[in-house]
Amino acid sequence: MSWHWESTVIAMIAFGILYWLLSKYAFGPLFEVMEKRRQLVLEQMNTAENSRKAAEQQMEEQKAALQQARKEAYEIIEQSRTTSSKQAEEIVQSAKSEASRLKDDALKDIESEKNKAIAALRTEVGGISVKIASKIIEKQVDEKSQEQLVGQYLKEVGNK
Amino acid sequence: MHEFPVMPLGPFHIDISTLVAIVVSVIVTFLIAKLAVRNLSVDNPSKFQNFLEWVVDFVHSFISSTMPVNRVKPFLSLGMTLIMFIFVSNLLGLPFGIVTETHHVNESIGVTQDLLDSKGGEVELAWWKSPTADISVTAGLALIVFVIVHFLGLKQNRKHYLKHYFHPFPIFFPVNIIETISKPVTLALRLFANIFAGEVLIATILMMGWYGTPFLAAWQAFSLFVGGIQAFLFTILTMVYISQAAIHEEEH
Repeated sequence: MSWHWESTVIAMIAFGILYWLLSKYAFGPLFEVMEKRRQLVLEQMNTAENSRKAAEQQMEEQKAALQQARKEAYEIIEQSRTTSSKQAEEIVQSAKSEASRLKDDALKDIESEKNKAIAALRTEVGGISVKIASKIIEKQVDEKSQEQLVGQYLKEVGNK
Repeated sequence: MHEFPVMPLGPFHIDISTLVAIVVSVIVTFLIAKLAVRNLSVDNPSKFQNFLEWVVDFVHSFISSTMPVNRVKPFLSLGMTLIMFIFVSNLLGLPFGIVTETHHVNESIGVTQDLLDSKGGEVELAWWKSPTADISVTAGLALIVFVIVHFLGLKQNRKHYLKHYFHPFPIFFPVNIIETISKPVTLALRLFANIFAGEVLIATILMMGWYGTPFLAAWQAFSLFVGGIQAFLFTILTMVYISQAAIHEEEH
Protein backbone atom coordinates (compact mmCIF):
# COMPACT_ATOMS: atom_id res chain seq x y z
CA MET A 1 0.00 0.00 0.00
CA SER A 2 1.51 3.25 -1.02
CA TRP A 3 0.37 6.80 -0.76
CA HIS A 4 -0.81 8.57 -3.88
CA TRP A 5 -1.86 12.11 -3.36
CA GLU A 6 -3.49 12.00 -6.80
CA SER A 7 -6.01 9.50 -5.41
CA THR A 8 -6.79 11.90 -2.61
CA VAL A 9 -7.49 14.68 -5.05
CA ILE A 10 -9.55 12.38 -7.27
CA ALA A 11 -11.53 11.22 -4.26
CA MET A 12 -12.24 14.78 -3.16
CA ILE A 13 -13.30 15.86 -6.64
CA ALA A 14 -15.42 12.76 -7.07
CA PHE A 15 -17.09 13.30 -3.73
CA GLY A 16 -17.74 16.93 -4.61
CA ILE A 17 -19.33 15.95 -7.90
CA LEU A 18 -21.38 13.24 -6.22
CA TYR A 19 -22.58 15.66 -3.57
CA TRP A 20 -23.62 18.15 -6.22
CA LEU A 21 -25.33 15.52 -8.39
CA LEU A 22 -27.19 13.97 -5.48
CA SER A 23 -28.29 17.32 -4.09
CA LYS A 24 -29.53 18.47 -7.44
CA TYR A 25 -31.11 15.36 -8.87
CA ALA A 26 -31.95 13.10 -5.95
CA PHE A 27 -32.15 14.67 -2.54
CA GLY A 28 -33.52 18.03 -3.59
CA PRO A 29 -36.67 16.59 -5.14
CA LEU A 30 -36.91 13.95 -2.43
CA PHE A 31 -36.77 16.48 0.39
CA GLU A 32 -39.31 18.58 -1.46
CA VAL A 33 -41.69 15.66 -1.70
CA MET A 34 -41.18 14.80 1.95
CA GLU A 35 -41.84 18.39 2.92
CA LYS A 36 -44.97 18.38 0.77
CA ARG A 37 -46.15 15.21 2.46
CA ARG A 38 -45.49 16.77 5.84
CA GLN A 39 -47.63 19.72 4.82
CA LEU A 40 -50.31 17.40 3.51
CA VAL A 41 -50.43 15.41 6.72
CA LEU A 42 -50.52 18.61 8.75
CA GLU A 43 -53.33 19.93 6.61
CA GLN A 44 -55.31 16.74 6.91
CA MET A 45 -54.85 16.72 10.64
CA ASN A 46 -56.10 20.28 10.79
CA THR A 47 -59.07 19.36 8.64
CA ALA A 48 -59.84 16.40 10.86
CA GLU A 49 -59.58 18.60 13.92
CA ASN A 50 -61.89 21.17 12.39
CA SER A 51 -64.49 18.63 11.35
CA ARG A 52 -64.33 17.09 14.79
CA LYS A 53 -65.00 20.48 16.30
CA ALA A 54 -67.86 21.11 13.87
CA ALA A 55 -69.34 17.73 14.68
CA GLU A 56 -69.07 18.44 18.38
CA GLN A 57 -70.76 21.77 17.91
CA GLN A 58 -73.55 20.22 15.90
CA MET A 59 -73.97 17.59 18.56
CA GLU A 60 -74.23 20.33 21.13
CA GLU A 61 -76.80 22.16 19.04
CA GLN A 62 -78.85 19.03 18.55
CA LYS A 63 -78.73 18.33 22.24
CA ALA A 64 -79.95 21.83 22.94
CA ALA A 65 -82.72 21.42 20.34
CA LEU A 66 -83.72 18.11 21.89
CA GLN A 67 -83.80 19.72 25.30
CA GLN A 68 -85.96 22.51 23.94
CA ALA A 69 -88.35 20.06 22.31
CA ARG A 70 -88.59 18.07 25.50
CA LYS A 71 -89.35 21.20 27.47
CA GLU A 72 -92.01 22.24 25.00
CA ALA A 73 -93.60 18.82 25.07
CA TYR A 74 -93.67 18.93 28.85
CA GLU A 75 -95.26 22.38 28.75
CA ILE A 76 -97.89 21.19 26.29
CA ILE A 77 -98.72 18.23 28.47
CA GLU A 78 -98.88 20.44 31.52
CA GLN A 79 -101.10 22.91 29.72
CA SER A 80 -103.44 20.24 28.47
CA ARG A 81 -103.57 18.78 31.93
CA THR A 82 -104.65 22.11 33.46
CA THR A 83 -107.04 22.72 30.61
CA SER A 84 -108.64 19.34 31.00
CA SER A 85 -109.00 19.66 34.75
CA LYS A 86 -110.49 23.11 34.30
CA GLN A 87 -112.90 21.76 31.71
CA ALA A 88 -113.83 18.91 33.97
CA GLU A 89 -114.49 21.35 36.73
CA GLU A 90 -116.56 23.46 34.41
CA ILE A 91 -118.52 20.44 33.28
CA VAL A 92 -119.13 19.38 36.84
CA GLN A 93 -120.05 22.93 37.76
CA SER A 94 -122.47 23.27 34.89
CA ALA A 95 -123.94 19.88 35.65
CA LYS A 96 -124.40 20.88 39.26
CA SER A 97 -126.03 24.16 38.36
CA GLU A 98 -128.19 22.40 35.82
CA ALA A 99 -129.20 19.89 38.44
CA SER A 100 -130.00 22.57 40.97
CA ARG A 101 -131.89 24.53 38.35
CA LEU A 102 -133.89 21.41 37.49
CA LYS A 103 -134.54 20.83 41.15
CA ASP A 104 -135.70 24.40 41.66
CA ASP A 105 -137.91 24.14 38.61
CA ALA A 106 -139.35 20.95 39.95
CA LEU A 107 -139.92 22.52 43.33
CA LYS A 108 -141.55 25.53 41.71
CA ASP A 109 -143.73 23.25 39.62
CA ILE A 110 -144.68 21.32 42.66
CA GLU A 111 -145.46 24.52 44.49
CA SER A 112 -147.63 25.89 41.71
CA GLU A 113 -149.34 22.53 41.22
CA LYS A 114 -149.99 22.45 44.92
CA ASN A 115 -151.35 25.98 44.87
CA LYS A 116 -153.52 25.13 41.86
CA ALA A 117 -154.73 22.01 43.53
CA ILE A 118 -155.42 23.94 46.71
CA ALA A 119 -157.29 26.62 44.75
CA ALA A 120 -159.26 23.98 42.83
CA LEU A 121 -159.97 22.13 46.00
CA ARG A 122 -161.04 25.33 47.68
CA THR A 123 -163.44 26.09 44.88
CA GLU A 124 -164.70 22.53 44.92
CA VAL A 125 -165.02 22.44 48.66
CA GLY A 126 -166.81 25.80 48.62
CA GLY A 127 -169.28 24.54 46.04
CA ILE A 128 -169.78 21.28 47.87
CA SER A 129 -170.24 22.93 51.24
CA VAL A 130 -172.77 25.35 49.70
CA LYS A 131 -174.65 22.36 48.28
CA ILE A 132 -174.34 20.56 51.60
CA ALA A 133 -175.46 23.62 53.52
CA SER A 134 -178.32 24.32 51.17
CA LYS A 135 -179.39 20.70 51.45
CA ILE A 136 -178.98 20.65 55.19
CA ILE A 137 -180.79 23.81 56.00
CA GLU A 138 -182.97 23.45 52.92
CA LYS A 139 -183.12 27.02 52.81
CA GLN A 140 -182.17 29.38 50.05
CA VAL A 141 -179.17 31.09 51.51
CA ASP A 142 -177.47 33.81 49.79
CA GLU A 143 -174.90 31.88 47.85
CA LYS A 144 -172.54 34.76 47.79
CA SER A 145 -172.35 35.43 51.56
CA GLN A 146 -172.13 31.69 52.12
CA GLU A 147 -169.18 31.38 49.83
CA GLN A 148 -167.50 34.27 51.60
CA LEU A 149 -168.00 32.60 54.93
CA VAL A 150 -166.63 29.24 53.75
CA GLY A 151 -163.66 30.91 52.05
CA GLN A 152 -162.84 32.58 55.34
CA TYR A 153 -162.93 29.29 57.19
CA LEU A 154 -160.84 27.50 54.59
CA LYS A 155 -158.32 30.24 54.56
CA GLU A 156 -157.92 29.82 58.23
CA VAL A 157 -157.48 26.13 57.69
CA GLY A 158 -154.95 26.71 54.85
CA ASN A 159 -152.91 29.01 57.04
CA LYS A 160 -152.69 26.56 59.79
CA MET B 1 0.22 -9.20 -1.22
CA HIS B 2 -1.11 -7.74 -4.43
CA GLU B 3 0.32 -4.70 -6.07
CA PHE B 4 -1.91 -2.04 -7.56
CA PRO B 5 -1.56 -0.74 -11.10
CA VAL B 6 -0.22 2.80 -11.02
CA MET B 7 -0.23 4.72 -14.27
CA PRO B 8 2.34 7.48 -14.64
CA LEU B 9 0.65 10.38 -16.39
CA GLY B 10 3.00 13.28 -16.88
CA PRO B 11 3.94 14.42 -13.38
CA PHE B 12 1.08 12.38 -11.81
CA HIS B 13 0.86 8.76 -10.76
CA ILE B 14 -2.70 7.57 -11.09
CA ASP B 15 -3.70 4.47 -9.14
CA ILE B 16 -5.99 2.90 -11.75
CA SER B 17 -7.74 0.51 -9.34
CA THR B 18 -8.59 3.39 -7.00
CA LEU B 19 -9.73 5.56 -9.86
CA VAL B 20 -11.99 2.80 -11.19
CA ALA B 21 -13.30 2.07 -7.72
CA ILE B 22 -14.11 5.71 -7.02
CA VAL B 23 -15.84 6.19 -10.35
CA VAL B 24 -17.85 2.99 -9.95
CA SER B 25 -18.82 3.93 -6.40
CA VAL B 26 -19.96 7.36 -7.49
CA ILE B 27 -21.97 5.94 -10.36
CA VAL B 28 -23.57 3.21 -8.24
CA THR B 29 -24.44 5.65 -5.46
CA PHE B 30 -25.94 8.09 -7.89
CA LEU B 31 -27.89 5.37 -9.71
CA ILE B 32 -29.34 4.06 -6.45
CA ALA B 33 -30.45 7.53 -5.42
CA LYS B 34 -31.72 8.35 -8.89
CA LEU B 35 -33.70 5.11 -9.18
CA ALA B 36 -35.21 5.71 -5.76
CA VAL B 37 -36.49 9.14 -6.75
CA ARG B 38 -37.60 8.12 -10.23
CA ASN B 39 -41.33 8.32 -9.64
CA LEU B 40 -41.61 10.67 -6.70
CA SER B 41 -45.04 10.76 -5.19
CA VAL B 42 -46.44 12.57 -2.22
CA ASP B 43 -49.26 10.23 -1.28
CA ASN B 44 -48.28 6.97 -2.98
CA PRO B 45 -44.52 6.43 -2.70
CA SER B 46 -42.89 3.40 -4.30
CA LYS B 47 -41.03 0.88 -2.16
CA PHE B 48 -37.70 2.23 -3.32
CA GLN B 49 -38.74 5.76 -2.48
CA ASN B 50 -39.89 4.54 0.94
CA PHE B 51 -36.47 3.01 1.44
CA LEU B 52 -34.64 6.23 0.60
CA GLU B 53 -37.04 8.18 2.81
CA TRP B 54 -36.28 5.76 5.60
CA VAL B 55 -32.56 6.48 5.06
CA VAL B 56 -33.29 10.21 5.13
CA ASP B 57 -35.22 9.84 8.39
CA PHE B 58 -32.46 7.72 9.85
CA VAL B 59 -29.75 10.22 8.90
CA HIS B 60 -31.90 13.09 10.08
CA SER B 61 -32.47 11.47 13.46
CA PHE B 62 -28.81 10.73 14.12
CA ILE B 63 -27.68 14.15 12.95
CA SER B 64 -30.23 15.72 15.26
CA SER B 65 -28.74 13.68 18.08
CA THR B 66 -25.54 15.67 17.64
CA MET B 67 -26.95 19.18 17.20
CA PRO B 68 -30.13 21.20 17.77
CA VAL B 69 -32.82 19.88 15.50
CA ASN B 70 -33.41 23.21 13.76
CA ARG B 71 -29.79 23.27 12.55
CA VAL B 72 -29.91 19.84 10.90
CA LYS B 73 -31.32 20.77 7.51
CA PRO B 74 -28.19 22.16 5.76
CA PHE B 75 -26.20 19.05 6.73
CA LEU B 76 -28.79 16.47 5.75
CA SER B 77 -27.63 16.32 2.15
CA LEU B 78 -24.00 16.06 3.22
CA GLY B 79 -24.78 13.31 5.69
CA MET B 80 -26.81 11.39 3.11
CA THR B 81 -24.04 11.67 0.51
CA LEU B 82 -21.38 10.63 2.99
CA ILE B 83 -23.20 7.62 4.36
CA MET B 84 -24.37 6.35 0.98
CA PHE B 85 -21.05 6.87 -0.78
CA ILE B 86 -19.00 5.31 2.01
CA PHE B 87 -21.38 2.39 2.40
CA VAL B 88 -21.35 1.64 -1.32
CA SER B 89 -17.57 2.07 -1.35
CA ASN B 90 -17.14 -0.30 1.58
CA LEU B 91 -19.17 -2.99 -0.12
CA LEU B 92 -17.58 -2.57 -3.53
CA GLY B 93 -14.58 -4.80 -2.81
CA LEU B 94 -16.59 -7.55 -1.16
CA PRO B 95 -18.25 -9.58 -3.91
CA PHE B 96 -15.28 -10.24 -6.16
CA GLY B 97 -11.75 -9.23 -7.09
CA ILE B 98 -9.88 -8.94 -10.32
CA VAL B 99 -6.25 -9.98 -10.16
CA THR B 100 -3.85 -10.29 -13.08
CA GLU B 101 -0.37 -11.70 -13.15
CA THR B 102 2.32 -10.17 -15.25
CA HIS B 103 5.84 -11.25 -15.88
CA HIS B 104 6.88 -8.39 -18.06
CA VAL B 105 7.88 -4.85 -17.45
CA ASN B 106 4.98 -2.53 -18.23
CA GLU B 107 5.73 1.00 -17.17
CA SER B 108 2.26 2.26 -18.12
CA ILE B 109 0.68 0.29 -15.27
CA GLY B 110 3.55 0.72 -12.88
CA VAL B 111 5.29 -2.62 -13.31
CA THR B 112 8.96 -1.66 -13.22
CA GLN B 113 12.03 -3.84 -13.42
CA ASP B 114 12.74 -3.16 -9.73
CA LEU B 115 9.28 -4.37 -8.72
CA LEU B 116 9.59 -7.50 -10.85
CA ASP B 117 12.97 -8.25 -9.34
CA SER B 118 11.74 -7.77 -5.81
CA LYS B 119 8.75 -10.08 -6.41
CA GLY B 120 10.72 -12.81 -8.10
CA GLY B 121 9.64 -12.11 -11.65
CA GLU B 122 5.90 -12.37 -11.05
CA VAL B 123 3.70 -9.46 -10.07
CA GLU B 124 0.04 -9.85 -9.11
CA LEU B 125 -1.96 -6.76 -9.91
CA ALA B 126 -5.30 -6.14 -8.17
CA TRP B 127 -7.66 -4.12 -10.33
CA TRP B 128 -10.70 -4.14 -8.14
CA LYS B 129 -11.08 -3.02 -4.55
CA SER B 130 -13.10 -0.82 -2.27
CA PRO B 131 -12.04 2.78 -2.74
CA THR B 132 -12.17 3.14 1.04
CA ALA B 133 -9.54 0.39 1.35
CA ASP B 134 -7.10 3.01 0.08
CA ILE B 135 -5.75 5.45 2.66
CA SER B 136 -5.42 8.11 -0.02
CA VAL B 137 -9.17 8.06 -0.59
CA THR B 138 -10.19 8.06 3.07
CA ALA B 139 -7.70 10.87 3.61
CA GLY B 140 -9.47 12.78 0.86
CA LEU B 141 -12.84 12.29 2.57
CA ALA B 142 -11.39 13.26 5.94
CA LEU B 143 -9.83 16.33 4.36
CA ILE B 144 -13.21 17.37 3.00
CA VAL B 145 -14.69 17.00 6.46
CA PHE B 146 -11.77 18.92 7.96
CA VAL B 147 -12.27 21.80 5.55
CA ILE B 148 -16.03 21.89 6.08
CA VAL B 149 -15.71 21.77 9.87
CA HIS B 150 -13.20 24.59 10.13
CA PHE B 151 -14.80 26.68 7.43
CA LEU B 152 -18.16 26.49 9.17
CA GLY B 153 -16.50 27.10 12.52
CA LEU B 154 -14.87 30.27 11.25
CA LYS B 155 -17.91 31.46 9.37
CA GLN B 156 -20.76 30.77 11.76
CA ASN B 157 -19.19 30.69 15.18
CA ARG B 158 -15.94 32.62 14.88
CA LYS B 159 -15.56 33.90 18.43
CA HIS B 160 -16.21 30.62 20.20
CA TYR B 161 -14.43 28.64 17.53
CA LEU B 162 -11.21 30.62 17.97
CA LYS B 163 -11.62 30.71 21.72
CA HIS B 164 -11.84 26.95 22.02
CA TYR B 165 -8.17 26.62 20.99
CA PHE B 166 -7.22 28.34 24.23
CA HIS B 167 -9.69 26.55 26.38
CA PRO B 168 -9.59 26.17 29.34
CA PHE B 169 -6.20 27.95 29.57
CA PRO B 170 -3.91 29.35 26.86
CA ILE B 171 -1.30 26.77 27.87
CA PHE B 172 -3.57 24.09 26.38
CA PHE B 173 -3.12 25.49 22.87
CA PRO B 174 -0.75 22.69 21.70
CA VAL B 175 -3.09 20.04 23.09
CA ASN B 176 -6.01 21.57 21.26
CA ILE B 177 -3.98 21.69 18.05
CA ILE B 178 -3.14 18.01 18.41
CA GLU B 179 -6.80 17.26 19.02
CA THR B 180 -7.79 19.22 15.94
CA ILE B 181 -5.26 17.40 13.77
CA SER B 182 -6.03 14.00 15.22
CA LYS B 183 -9.71 14.20 14.39
CA PRO B 184 -9.43 13.92 10.58
CA VAL B 185 -6.46 11.58 10.90
CA THR B 186 -8.38 9.11 13.04
CA LEU B 187 -11.38 9.55 10.77
CA ALA B 188 -9.32 8.54 7.73
CA LEU B 189 -7.34 5.80 9.44
CA ARG B 190 -10.34 4.15 11.12
CA LEU B 191 -12.28 3.83 7.89
CA PHE B 192 -9.27 2.76 5.84
CA ALA B 193 -8.03 0.21 8.39
CA ASN B 194 -11.41 -1.48 8.84
CA ILE B 195 -12.09 -1.88 5.15
CA PHE B 196 -8.51 -2.68 4.19
CA ALA B 197 -8.32 -5.34 6.90
CA GLY B 198 -11.53 -6.82 5.60
CA GLU B 199 -10.17 -7.09 2.08
CA VAL B 200 -6.83 -8.47 3.25
CA LEU B 201 -8.63 -11.16 5.15
CA ILE B 202 -10.77 -11.97 2.11
CA ALA B 203 -7.62 -12.31 0.02
CA THR B 204 -6.10 -14.50 2.72
CA ILE B 205 -9.14 -16.74 2.95
CA LEU B 206 -9.09 -17.09 -0.83
CA MET B 207 -5.62 -18.64 -0.53
CA MET B 208 -7.18 -21.54 1.40
CA GLY B 209 -8.85 -22.72 -1.77
CA TRP B 210 -12.40 -24.07 -1.62
CA TYR B 211 -12.08 -25.09 2.05
CA GLY B 212 -12.38 -21.44 2.83
CA THR B 213 -15.85 -21.00 1.35
CA PRO B 214 -17.79 -21.01 4.66
CA PHE B 215 -15.23 -18.69 6.22
CA LEU B 216 -15.43 -16.45 3.20
CA ALA B 217 -19.21 -16.30 3.40
CA ALA B 218 -19.11 -15.56 7.12
CA TRP B 219 -16.44 -12.94 6.72
CA GLN B 220 -18.20 -11.26 3.83
CA ALA B 221 -21.36 -11.08 5.89
CA PHE B 222 -19.39 -9.55 8.72
CA SER B 223 -17.70 -7.16 6.32
CA LEU B 224 -21.14 -6.05 5.21
CA PHE B 225 -21.89 -5.23 8.81
CA VAL B 226 -18.52 -3.53 9.31
CA GLY B 227 -19.06 -1.52 6.14
CA GLY B 228 -22.39 -0.27 7.44
CA ILE B 229 -20.99 0.52 10.87
CA GLN B 230 -18.01 2.40 9.45
CA ALA B 231 -20.16 4.43 7.08
CA PHE B 232 -22.41 5.33 9.99
CA LEU B 233 -19.45 6.16 12.24
CA PHE B 234 -17.76 8.36 9.67
CA THR B 235 -20.95 10.30 9.08
CA ILE B 236 -21.95 10.75 12.69
CA LEU B 237 -18.41 11.78 13.69
CA THR B 238 -18.45 14.32 10.89
CA MET B 239 -21.67 15.72 12.29
CA VAL B 240 -20.27 15.74 15.83
CA TYR B 241 -17.23 17.67 14.67
CA ILE B 242 -19.36 20.14 12.74
CA SER B 243 -21.58 20.55 15.77
CA GLN B 244 -18.59 21.12 18.05
CA ALA B 245 -17.00 23.71 15.80
CA ALA B 246 -19.88 25.54 14.21
CA ILE B 247 -22.76 25.42 16.63
CA HIS B 248 -22.59 27.28 19.86
CA GLU B 249 -25.52 26.81 22.13
CA GLU B 250 -26.52 29.87 24.06
CA GLU B 251 -26.94 28.10 27.37
CA HIS B 252 -23.26 27.96 28.30
